[in-house]
Amino acid sequence: MKTAASRARGVEHDILQLPQANSVAPYYEPQGAEVAIFEAAYRKRLPLMLKGPTGCGKTRFLEHMAYQLKRPLVTVSCHEDLTSSDLVGRFLLEGSQTVWQDGPLTRAVKAGAICYLDEIVEARTDSTVVIHSLTDHRRRLTIEKKAQEIDAHEDFLLVISYNPGYQTVLKDLKPSTKQRFVAINFDFPSEEVERKVIVNEVPGTAPALAAKLVAAGRKARLLKDHGLEEATSTRALVYAANLINAGLDPINACQVAMVNPITDDAELAEALSEIVKAHFAE
Amino acid sequence: MAKKTTVQQVLLQLEETSFVAHREVLDVLPALQHHDEPTQLRWLEIARRMFNYDSEAGKAFVRGSHAAEQVSETMLPWSEQALTFLQWPASVPAVVGFMANLPRAYGTLGHAGQRRWAEIGFSWYARHAESGRVYFATPVLDLAGRQGITGVEQLFEPLEELYESRKLFLSSYLAGAIRVRNLLGAQAILVWASRGADIMQTGRVRGEAYFRLDSEESLSVLLDHLPGFRMGERNRLLTLLLDIWYEHDFDFKEGNWSPDKGRPFVETDGRTMFIPAVMSDREEAILAVLHAAGHLQFGSYDRRALETIFDTAGIKLPATGPVSWTSLFEAYGDDIQRFQLLFDTCEDLRIDRRVQTLVPNYLTRLLATGSEHRLRMSEMSPYYELALETVRGAVAVVRGAATTLDPRFLPLLKPDATIADAFRIAGDLYRGTELPPITDLETFHAAYLPGRSPNAARSAHTHLQKTQKQQSPAGAEGESNEGDNDDEQGEDAPQDADSEGVQRGEREKMVATEGNSAGADKRPLQQTKTPDGSGEGEDKGTPYPEWDYREARYKRNWSWVQEKPLGESNLNEANRLLAQYAMALKRLKKAIQSQKPTRLAPKVRQFDGDDIDLNAAVAYVAERQAGMSPEASIYRRREVKQRDVSVCLLADMSTSIMQHLPEGGGRLVDRIRAGVLLFAESMEEVGDAYSIAGFCSKYRDNVSYYTIKDFDEPFTMQIKSVIGGMSGRLATRMGAAIRHATARFNGVESRRRLLLILSDGRPEDYDDGGDRRYLHEDTRMAVKEAVAHGVHPYCITVDTMANQYLPQIFGHGHYMVLDHINSLPNKLPEIYLRLRR
Repeated sequence: MKTAASRARGVEHDILQLPQANSVAPYYEPQGAEVAIFEAAYRKRLPLMLKGPTGCGKTRFLEHMAYQLKRPLVTVSCHEDLTSSDLVGRFLLEGSQTVWQDGPLTRAVKAGAICYLDEIVEARTDSTVVIHSLTDHRRRLTIEKKAQEIDAHEDFLLVISYNPGYQTVLKDLKPSTKQRFVAINFDFPSEEVERKVIVNEVPGTAPALAAKLVAAGRKARLLKDHGLEEATSTRALVYAANLINAGLDPINACQVAMVNPITDDAELAEALSEIVKAHFAE
Repeated sequence: MAKKTTVQQVLLQLEETSFVAHREVLDVLPALQHHDEPTQLRWLEIARRMFNYDSEAGKAFVRGSHAAEQVSETMLPWSEQALTFLQWPASVPAVVGFMANLPRAYGTLGHAGQRRWAEIGFSWYARHAESGRVYFATPVLDLAGRQGITGVEQLFEPLEELYESRKLFLSSYLAGAIRVRNLLGAQAILVWASRGADIMQTGRVRGEAYFRLDSEESLSVLLDHLPGFRMGERNRLLTLLLDIWYEHDFDFKEGNWSPDKGRPFVETDGRTMFIPAVMSDREEAILAVLHAAGHLQFGSYDRRALETIFDTAGIKLPATGPVSWTSLFEAYGDDIQRFQLLFDTCEDLRIDRRVQTLVPNYLTRLLATGSEHRLRMSEMSPYYELALETVRGAVAVVRGAATTLDPRFLPLLKPDATIADAFRIAGDLYRGTELPPITDLETFHAAYLPGRSPNAARSAHTHLQKTQKQQSPAGAEGESNEGDNDDEQGEDAPQDADSEGVQRGEREKMVATEGNSAGADKRPLQQTKTPDGSGEGEDKGTPYPEWDYREARYKRNWSWVQEKPLGESNLNEANRLLAQYAMALKRLKKAIQSQKPTRLAPKVRQFDGDDIDLNAAVAYVAERQAGMSPEASIYRRREVKQRDVSVCLLADMSTSIMQHLPEGGGRLVDRIRAGVLLFAESMEEVGDAYSIAGFCSKYRDNVSYYTIKDFDEPFTMQIKSVIGGMSGRLATRMGAAIRHATARFNGVESRRRLLLILSDGRPEDYDDGGDRRYLHEDTRMAVKEAVAHGVHPYCITVDTMANQYLPQIFGHGHYMVLDHINSLPNKLPEIYLRLRR
């Protein structure tokens, strides 16, 4: 229940949160065998790599699985200045004392959470090395500064995501890192699944509308080889459905959700708009 | 009575002075009897003066009077105007023109308009007699262009200015200006005429030709200023749309349409789409390419169906080569256009119904645009109405609603209908038709709905259509399409001189002559240097293995790469290009500079520096207090990071880069030169180590590798001029070039090495025996080897068909197709910057 105070200033959560027993599972529509694969990997505690384009449901899948497995999920979005102490932890000053503060990875290791390193390629290579000892049979995190090693909680699982489609060919995971993971390939869901996703994400969406959005999205993805860095994602389709649900007319909704964000190229934008108009013109 | 004698007296006087004048006046006078006496007298007086001036002028005046009087119902205003001519010598032709135009002038311009029309003419006559003559000799309708006196005034507005400033005369200007106005509207005249006035000053003959619209210059100015949707500039959008809806590429060519050929159409010959320079608006243009692609996709050129048609017409379909439609229509004699319109209506309906299966709401859009165009058209064509009606019917059928469409059209809406059905149904319709015959081209053109066009405009290249089942689903086009193309070439290429055929033929010829000459001239050379001799490696170059997919093994020392300097250089061209792209370069440099602070991020955790690194300092203090002995690296420093990227730009320099761009504006090589120059200039700004090289090949033992700039060389004028002189030759053995470029990275100290390959087509060589896959596979292996050596190849191509083969060679995300060649110069540095991010 949201209290008046929480409405006023948001709610603080600790990053370690067990799924609420009485809540509803985050919605996820399986595209293939990924649920079974994840469960099997979890049973054997094998680290996982989720590969796929942005907005195709990687994060949602993980939220869903964490809920199903009743484990807390700790997400770290990686960026190029992310250092190993951002993951592992650091000493802080408190008065004249120093205190050690665990980083998100350390906390997850101790608590037996699922730790999700999103877009791991973005992180500096030196910081990705700290996960090596966690991802093999040792399942152990080394904290150099404290001269400590932590054996991972038996429920701990490391998951990384990785988008090979990025045009930055120079950024790639080291093969030695890659081969420690079990990898699941994600892609945009099939038409049928994508329609279901839209209807479920935006209750009240007419099936016909969902079908049109999906068809338009499919056509838009064809432009990927023509200079679009990222294809129209399922997320973008859901956004469009949301805007339509909020009363915006479909052409405008698709324009702002599916066209404007993904390209600044006038001609690509025009071609995308053509797709939208063809599908939604009356 | 007395008055009557006065008229009689005048007539008597007239008879005495001129027999002809008297006779002419007597012919006309009875018709003017209802005007009062003074009016008649004044008219007689004027007629007499005209005869005195010149008997031809008098005749023209008197003979024209009756018609002028009938339309204007007056006599004096125009008669008085005619007197004006008498002040000038030799104005007879002008009088003749004036009198001949009077009825129309009154009829279309009204009294006030007629006055203004005459005034404009007189003012021109006063300035330049010839101009005045031309003015009055030009039919009023042409001057007015359906817009009354405003039209006339608009026509001469630009001229007034040009006469003042550049002494441009109406006589030179008028005929062309009218055509320009009719084609492009009044607003286009000024631009066109100003240019013409300039040209006129450089030479009279050239200027006159310009104004007659006879010169290339004139046409190109017109094309540049045609209003409407410019197809050339929007080529990319149209290709994108075809790609979206049909999911494969179509061949585009610039059509031969010019403004005086009437309405522009997108045409097709069964292989290629011919695009006019301009179409009336965006909507029509989009409909047109989608429709034309429909013809190509849905069997308008299907050989089997065409055979059926030709059989029914009792003609043998030519076995090879393009088929002319005319023999098919001959049976209809002079009424050929009427049948053609009915046939096109049927066939276009069939096609548009099929296009609807790929493009949602296509028919609705066609109907909406068609109805809108109808409102704009001044004269409605019953054929247009019929076509629109069939589309309306089709929309109803698609929606499952009831339709009033003539049931004879219904079979065309079925998915298995063919062009043969369209022909048969058109024949039925023709026999019972009450539609009017078509006489002129304009009406014929006006009968087509927006986007549609006369289907028989070009001879047809037929091909065997695959079965309906394979053909209709949108997906899985890529591969099957390739197969289709191959069939087509196999069938047609030998017979007609078309692009692919010629290229191949030429290549074979080239290979043959090379073979011969090698036999003649090169033998001595080869004899002195045996290929196997290890000592002679220098001249033969460096050997590299080549992958043979058929045997799944490497062929050792198979391709030989020779390093050569590039002979040609052209500093002027380089400077010209740099000047042309100065703005772009400025923008790029700015972008690079603005990126620098973030890219060359301040180094953190330094032992000395300008700023305290707060995170490091806190960690330091904390660790000290925790009893550890941390390093005092608590500073941050802004400084250029050690270069850790090096890049080699490897340009494909095969013959194909010499081709002219389909959208005009020069050759591909111009863009490549500009791109390489901008790349080099940007790299100077970025500060990464880079090299530039080109390659080409002829046979496996003759791969040339031109290092234009090496990693440690400075970017000098000399290098600039070599880039300015880059040109294409021979073929593309990409694998060997990649291997060599990879080897060239040895000794370059950098952690990240990037090999940018700039290409315009697939890997090919003279000795690949037409087996494309062979060099594809080899290139793929070369890429793998490069990656294994820590070099990342990335391919930038301008070949729009490239996504059929590049993914297999370079892998997804490791190539980019620039479908807009003009963007190459700007894009090349941008791509690098993005890649190194």
